[in-house]
Amino acid sequence: MPAEVRFDLLWPEFLVAGLAFAIFTLDFFLRPERKNILGWISAIGLLYIIAFTIPFLNDESESLFGGLYRVDDYALFFKVLSMAIGGAVILGSIHYVGKYLTHPGEYYAIILLSVLAMMMMAASGELLTAYLSLELLSFCLYILSGFALHDRKSSEASVKYILLGAFSSGLLLYGIVLMYGAMGTTNFAEMAAFLDGHGEINGRLLIGLTLLVTGLGFKMAAVPFHMWAPDVYEGAPMPITAYIAVGSKVAAFALVLRLFAEGLLPAIDQWNILIAGMAAVTMLFGNVVALAQTNIKRMLAYSSVGQVGFLLMGVASLSTLSSNGLMVHLVGYSATNLAVFFAIIAFYNYTGKEEISDFAGLASRSPFLAAAITISLFSLAGLPFLAGFVTKFYLFSAAAAEDLLWLAGVAMVASLISLYYYLKVARQMYISPATEGEDSTIKVPALLYGLVGVMVIIVILIGLYPEPLVNLIEDATAVILPGGDASALSLR
Amino acid sequence: MELYHVELLSAALFAIGIYGVLARRNSVLILISIELMLNAVNINAVAYSAFLDPGRLVGQVITIFVITVAAAEVGLAMAIILRLYRTMSTANADEADSMKW
Repeated sequence: MPAEVRFDLLWPEFLVAGLAFAIFTLDFFLRPERKNILGWISAIGLLYIIAFTIPFLNDESESLFGGLYRVDDYALFFKVLSMAIGGAVILGSIHYVGKYLTHPGEYYAIILLSVLAMMMMAASGELLTAYLSLELLSFCLYILSGFALHDRKSSEASVKYILLGAFSSGLLLYGIVLMYGAMGTTNFAEMAAFLDGHGEINGRLLIGLTLLVTGLGFKMAAVPFHMWAPDVYEGAPMPITAYIAVGSKVAAFALVLRLFAEGLLPAIDQWNILIAGMAAVTMLFGNVVALAQTNIKRMLAYSSVGQVGFLLMGVASLSTLSSNGLMVHLVGYSATNLAVFFAIIAFYNYTGKEEISDFAGLASRSPFLAAAITISLFSLAGLPFLAGFVTKFYLFSAAAAEDLLWLAGVAMVASLISLYYYLKVARQMYISPATEGEDSTIKVPALLYGLVGVMVIIVILIGLYPEPLVNLIEDATAVILPGGDASALSLR
Repeated sequence: MELYHVELLSAALFAIGIYGVLARRNSVLILISIELMLNAVNINAVAYSAFLDPGRLVGQVITIFVITVAAAEVGLAMAIILRLYRTMSTANADEADSMKW
């Protein structure tokens, strides 16, 4: 253990936490009608912290507190991504909060705290630290999903989320403790050394691993542990739905990828079938059930359950290639989902409706929103020239290269199914005429216009020119899988 | 006393907790069952630390953190259940069914 802990490397975390508490405090001093400014302060503050963090932590590689907390390029990548997602969601909520929610100060500050939790999840190098940051994130999301105080659905969503979330943390913790009992350590690196050394896999370890995967499966909404997702997505305020769909998935996969790559890779034969099976069921179930949905938020909930299946495929075939694929897909998925959700938020702010049939005639009411939704849904389905195609291509070919050709095949079928229900939305917008009395032009505020535009541009940019992103991601995965392909292949 | 005695106790407590979560209708009782699961975790953590890893305090540290997080979780969950009760006049998890499929 190093004699001196370099606390200065934690500046980004300190700054985000400080920003959150500054917002809590400022909230006391502002008159209610001026509280919108808190959203702007949080978003601009996050932007400054990103600009500070990138040069500050670039190429740092340090283990703090004896390996509990890592500061490296992998953590840096996810820290910047989390802050960007948090900032975008905050900007996207400003109009929504002004119109539908009370207590804006708490709202923005809790989002900032959850960004902090996401940053810690990507950096934790030990199971208990990982669990604590995961709980911080979950607590913030429980509160946020119940934030529409007088909405029945919102309270109901929040209760379902916290009961199932607490249950899943129980399973996760029991798994963590059993693994501690089996291996005598909770540190990822020491776990890998243990598994490499004796290779003694006993019942305690297997049960622990299963419970750990179950608990994490709950958190990222993989089938059969997805039951909370559709209800929470439908009941939560819309920007929070976007945040749960994007932010919590990014953070959960940041944690899962580091845990499996740094800690459990030597035992890959024990868990890859488990994860691969879960991935196959998840992608098929999510996409098939999405076919039957009439509420756009519920449809996107099942669609994101399906996307979790694709992402799990990258974990099941863990190697440098597939973790690159997973991270590329994660970035593409985030940008695309944020584009859809921002467009839907703009629509909801004006109309207050969220059924798919309400989108009829959107092409004439607001050609911009209709085009943005169509482009991003096509990207989710994986049509060429958009982010979804490139990222799915990376991910599927990685799985195929790692002997999981059947899983890549299942993923192709699931993608095809998903195209059907995405096209149903596009058909409503472009072919069905608007209902009588509801055909006024939709006014989109400049802020949401800009956000949707930026996200769509990112989606198209990743689709046409992914190399800079892929290079960044290759640097990041080199940290968690230092041996590269050679070590991953030699395990087989 | 052997390690497996404690492990059995903890597993039994954990199983009772899971049964409670699945069988109870009232949200507060579900929450209490979750507390049982977390206490099973605590017993296990201390037992492993004492029997298998006596030089270090990893298990005890896990226990302290779990107790703290569980307390925070109960506070938050009770507040949210109270909110459900105010809007829907029920705290039963199976009556909160305005969203399905």
